[in-house]
Amino acid sequence: MSVYVASILTNMALISFLALSAYLVLVVGVVSFGQQAFFGVGAYVTATVTSIYGGHAVTGVFIGMLSGAACALVLAILTVRLSGLYFAISTLCFAELCRLGLLQVRAPFDIDGRTTGPDGPEGFSNIRWIFEHNYSVQDFLVLTTVCLVALLGLLFLLERSRIMLRARLVGQDSILAQSLGLRPILYRIVFVTLSGGVAGFGGGLFALFNTYIEPNMFGVMLGVHGLAYAVIGGLGAPIGPLIGVAIDIGLLESIRAISAYRMIAFGGLVALLLILLPQGLISPRFVARMRRWRKLFHV
Amino acid sequence: MDFVQTNIDGLLAGSAYALLALGFSLVFGIMRQINLAYGSSLLVGAALAVWLEPILGLGVVGLFLLTVVACVLAGLYVERLCFAPNRGKTGATVPMIASFAIWMQLDEVSSHLLPSRTHNFPGLEIPPMFFGDLYLRGDQIVQFVVAFTSIAALYYLIYKTRFGLLLRATAGNAETAFLLGAPTGRLRLMTFLLAGFLGGISTFLILSADGQVTPLFGLWSTFKGLIAMMIGGVGSLPGAVIGGLLLGLIEAHSSTQFGAEYRDITTFGILFLILIIRPGGIMGVSAYRTGRLAQERI
Repeated sequence: MSVYVASILTNMALISFLALSAYLVLVVGVVSFGQQAFFGVGAYVTATVTSIYGGHAVTGVFIGMLSGAACALVLAILTVRLSGLYFAISTLCFAELCRLGLLQVRAPFDIDGRTTGPDGPEGFSNIRWIFEHNYSVQDFLVLTTVCLVALLGLLFLLERSRIMLRARLVGQDSILAQSLGLRPILYRIVFVTLSGGVAGFGGGLFALFNTYIEPNMFGVMLGVHGLAYAVIGGLGAPIGPLIGVAIDIGLLESIRAISAYRMIAFGGLVALLLILLPQGLISPRFVARMRRWRKLFHV
Repeated sequence: MDFVQTNIDGLLAGSAYALLALGFSLVFGIMRQINLAYGSSLLVGAALAVWLEPILGLGVVGLFLLTVVACVLAGLYVERLCFAPNRGKTGATVPMIASFAIWMQLDEVSSHLLPSRTHNFPGLEIPPMFFGDLYLRGDQIVQFVVAFTSIAALYYLIYKTRFGLLLRATAGNAETAFLLGAPTGRLRLMTFLLAGFLGGISTFLILSADGQVTPLFGLWSTFKGLIAMMIGGVGSLPGAVIGGLLLGLIEAHSSTQFGAEYRDITTFGILFLILIIRPGGIMGVSAYRTGRLAQERI
């Protein structure tokens, strides 16, 4: 497999983490424009742990995941009162505050004759863990894919549990959920925190793979792309967001002829898809129908 | 004296934000939906006008008319593609995401229309004015005056005419208004066209004061309009004006106090605090509360 194809596939896997984190928030019925903040925080923390403190990548990504989740928990607790649009805008604000805050952090370090560490708009360069441990692009692709598959496995287990069923009820009709004795706010806090963890994990891998990160990589556009993938993929199953990613990056970026007009095509496609299938490709209704068909053939 | 000058600068810049916020507030007030493609529809309008103007050779007045017409057409496109087909299906999320998709699309279209990063936008050649030590830019004064004339005209349209009555009825309760014979679909379209018209005026004023148009204008105007609306009050027209002026003042003072790089941090920080402490904004608490009550009613 050529390096070019491997790096496109790795990028697809990395952005899938972001799309899955947007999916987890959408499941409880709120929209977040701020998932890129957790992705960015995870990336910065992982970079700090591995290249300044010399930690192992596993430690780094783990701490990155925890810090993403911690940020998300703080945001979720601060915004408990807000619903719908207000929540969306406050996540946007939070993410922009994180990005602008990171732009002001200037703490360059000199390690083995190379400058590393966060340096405001210059970014965090020389995250050399994958070079030092001789990981090729293909190896990293395998690593990322294994992580993504493991995450999908966990999500499928979660999907079969009662927690997910209740979270979906909260997302569909929070008043009904409340009258059945559930506490919508609690589900929202838990799922937003989970989504922060997922995004932080993906961000950590992103930092290791890219070897250079800067705050402006984690702008609004990144987060809203993740959100768009989750929405067109549909909220029926965790595989939905991956289909969204595959449509955009896989199909449109790899066809070179239209890559200059990619956003024109993708934007129009999303708008048309939402008119035809407002619940996305893999909608909850689609999943239920598939389950019925499966029963019909198996029994 | 510096303090007075900062206030004047803030208010002059704020008048442009107020116009942008009015576009958002109109759409939110009538439809309870956010049009994220608003900024980029203004950008595409400006890009089309800049692209067409040398071909037609119309001068500054022609450029103004072209900008307004192109912005209205872009608004029509956004409404037809994102908002009209998705009405009443799945709440406010789907149209918001669709409008975001169109945002990306229109940004790409504009960057094809404006191949180099910055393009000259002919300004209004008005000399600056001096009052003692105070310095007032002529084009910004025009911007301020035109902004407030448009706001007054909008106020007249909404509170004194039959069309405005229909709009307010739709905003209050769309189903009842429809049952009583108001053409709600057409009114929603008209709202978008009105927002595009106001947006076209503000685009021309802002860009001619800057003297240039860049592909970043779309994101910039969406952010400024949205923030001004959220600070002032969601869906409230006086709120949008107050929010715009306040945003201008906040920006001017924070950049003189802490330096330009902290300007955006202060703005977003204040907006975040307002959302947490007083979610409806300064004037829009009633809109927030009715929405919330309607949601909590079983």
